[in-house]
Amino acid sequence: MEKLSNETQVADFVRAAHESKSPFEIVAGGTRRAVGRPLADLPVLDVSGLSGIIKYEPEELIVTAAPATPLTEIAAVLGEKNQRLGFDPADWSQLLGSNGVATLGGAASADASGSGRLRHGGARDSLLAFRAVNGLGESYRGGAKVVKNVTGFDLPKLVCGAHGTLSVLTELTFRVYPRPQFFAVLSLSDVTPEIGFAALRKIAHSALEPAGLAYLPGSMMPGVGQGAALIRLEGASRPLEEKLGMAHGLLGSAATRIDSDPFAAIGSGEKFAELPGHVWRVMIAPSDAPRVVKELNLQHWLGDWAGGVIWAAAPAHDAARVRAIAASVKGQAMLLRASTDARAALGLYAPQPKALADVNRAVKAAFDPLSLFNPGRLS
Amino acid sequence: MLLPPTDSKIVARRAEIIAALQAIVPDGVVADKSGLATFDSDALSAYHQTPLVCVLPSTREQVSEILKFSQAEGVPIVPRGSGTSLSGGALPREDGILIGMGRMKRILDIDYENACVTVEPGVTNLNITKAVEANGFYYAPDPSSQVACSIGGNVAENSGGLHCLKYGLTTNNLLGVTLVLPGGEIVTLGGKSGAQGGLDIMGLVTGSEGLLGVVVEVVVKILRKPPVTRTLMASFDTVSAAGACVAAVIADGVVPAAMEFMDGRAAEAIESYNQPGYPKGAEAILIIDADGVEADVSHAISRVTAIVAECGGKTVEATDEKQRTRIWSGRKAAFAAMGKLAPDMICMDGTIPRHALPTVLDEMAKLSEQYGLGFCNVFHAGDGNLHPLIIFDIMKPGEFERAEEFGADILRLCVKVGGVLTGEHGVGVEKRDLMPDMFTPEELALQGRVKCAFDVGGLFNPGKVFPMLSACVEQGHIHVHGAQLPHPHLPRY
Repeated sequence: MEKLSNETQVADFVRAAHESKSPFEIVAGGTRRAVGRPLADLPVLDVSGLSGIIKYEPEELIVTAAPATPLTEIAAVLGEKNQRLGFDPADWSQLLGSNGVATLGGAASADASGSGRLRHGGARDSLLAFRAVNGLGESYRGGAKVVKNVTGFDLPKLVCGAHGTLSVLTELTFRVYPRPQFFAVLSLSDVTPEIGFAALRKIAHSALEPAGLAYLPGSMMPGVGQGAALIRLEGASRPLEEKLGMAHGLLGSAATRIDSDPFAAIGSGEKFAELPGHVWRVMIAPSDAPRVVKELNLQHWLGDWAGGVIWAAAPAHDAARVRAIAASVKGQAMLLRASTDARAALGLYAPQPKALADVNRAVKAAFDPLSLFNPGRLS
Repeated sequence: MLLPPTDSKIVARRAEIIAALQAIVPDGVVADKSGLATFDSDALSAYHQTPLVCVLPSTREQVSEILKFSQAEGVPIVPRGSGTSLSGGALPREDGILIGMGRMKRILDIDYENACVTVEPGVTNLNITKAVEANGFYYAPDPSSQVACSIGGNVAENSGGLHCLKYGLTTNNLLGVTLVLPGGEIVTLGGKSGAQGGLDIMGLVTGSEGLLGVVVEVVVKILRKPPVTRTLMASFDTVSAAGACVAAVIADGVVPAAMEFMDGRAAEAIESYNQPGYPKGAEAILIIDADGVEADVSHAISRVTAIVAECGGKTVEATDEKQRTRIWSGRKAAFAAMGKLAPDMICMDGTIPRHALPTVLDEMAKLSEQYGLGFCNVFHAGDGNLHPLIIFDIMKPGEFERAEEFGADILRLCVKVGGVLTGEHGVGVEKRDLMPDMFTPEELALQGRVKCAFDVGGLFNPGKVFPMLSACVEQGHIHVHGAQLPHPHLPRY
């Protein structure tokens, strides 16, 4: 294992790997190594030394940090200025049984967005710029450290969700967002998935700018009967009161304010950590959520993003069925947690149509022609 | 500005190419001289060239067949939406097929349950909002040409507008794109779920300026119209006070729906043009919109008012919708107003870190003296997107060339302070040769390889965005003569 601490060292390492055609696995905090198609027993490039906030400019709404910076460190520093990242990065370490440290680069590479994605989008919506080393061992920059830029191809979009298959990231610049002073969670309890998801969509399509909209069946949240629609609203004191009033207007008086914040445990998937079987994230059009959960017919699941993603724990033999249900509604079933063998057989996503798979391969090759970086993880 | 040389062998095959296209789209081939004149430029009209032939498909299958033909026969392709690009992205080629998407303008699906609309690429930006506004929704990105510009063009250019700081650019408001690849294969990227099951190719295609394929279908998000919008106008004695105010507003946690800056020259020109009521003698004016639920908006307005005062400015709030419209009408007439000061003008488009504004304005004043040309600045201050307007007289020998050089120096200045060559107008042909000022040779080579991943033969919109060595046609900039922009009915801000 090679441990490096700056971009020059990374470039040297990659050039040597390119020379000897030696692929490797990129590891920062190491919490997401069990995501995607498993890598053969490859050497590890340890980039955990590339850590720390490089520049934080609250009035420009941007923060630049090295990729191995812990998510907790970013949250703490931004929090001091009442700001936060937009994509609500999720720490999947508990779900994936890792004792590593979840990092900024890992969260962006896996596009690990939590419930708050609803408000400001995924990692791809707020990554403004990055520095990285490509598969030829060249340092380069993608995007720019300004919030509005259309100069050249939008490379930051590509590295989000690429699971480290395009480049070794060495620096990330995110747009940040104000963190509202207060939040409140409303619960509409003992409702069916149909009613619950409909309520969530109503709030999603209001002017309330919700920061979390999830439905949890009774199996996942004791004491809510059939299930609960959960609504997270934010704001300064008076605006928050107004939003709560408006939400009540839309949902009726049955919606009650609860003291806990169940959303923290939703995006992280930790509710599934102790459950056996595969853990899926099925991304669909929100209005398909009731139909999809009915067809899945599983005990342990929940719907986040107003129904746009269904988390589900399913027995291993259900894999083809889960994928087929997702495909039937033009969704994508991401296999987030499974055994090494299952991940090898099933991949992170279902195979793409040929023309699209060809484009994916060709784009990968433009960055990393010898497929040195995390080879196969996203295929 | 140089474009790749015209391939006379292709031009010699014109009749055969026209016949082949007529076989694919019997009712949609424009080949006569006067018909083609309509398509000889986009809104960057100083650059023009008659296309070899223009084809107007009405189905994705026809698009696919056209591209297969282009590929098989080695004929360059230039895609075009409504032709409102300000950077020459749709500039035709004498040896190339111009593929105009204007006939594919059906709204295919309005889905309020999922707050999205599925459209063909020729639907105009504003028509999406018009289709859903009765139900209280709208499509957020609002480029100034929104009455005419098409959504396919918006995807190609990753169009912005006045409200990007809060609502993002086109790329942040898309769920799906169906693209015909240069080889004719049709790929669907995302959809109502937004998920792509692989690399974010939709994100790459958005803003790719027609270099990677032809967009044939788009799924956009729609948003609930905010119940309340209020508008403040703030005036300052110095530019730096206004700049400090913008930074302080952002640092305070307020995200205005729009925050526009005008310097004193722009404000004065606008005031004499359509009298929106801008204060006399101010060195800088900000127009700030806050939208959302009533209490959020009140909170934002009271914070902004306090911050303006702390920064030494004065605020006036629009008391009713009529006054709001009047304040904004001035800002939106900035181009036309400047056009009254001089016969000709070019509009630049760069983004800078907001804190660099005073420095950039000082440097621009020095450049203005150096080149002996006047200028003013309008600025999407919230997101740092600067639109300097350079005024000149094309009838005076050398002024146009000086104006172009002045503009290029402004963009280099933007890059020098950590900004970019273009915030929303695109690179096109206009800024292509400045790309090496922003990117290293390795970075340009990487982007070139990404282009090749889609377009091995290099037939797709050649000569745009990326610099090249070959040479032939001398070109100009966004050029406004006698206060008339190309598409004079479109506001430009």
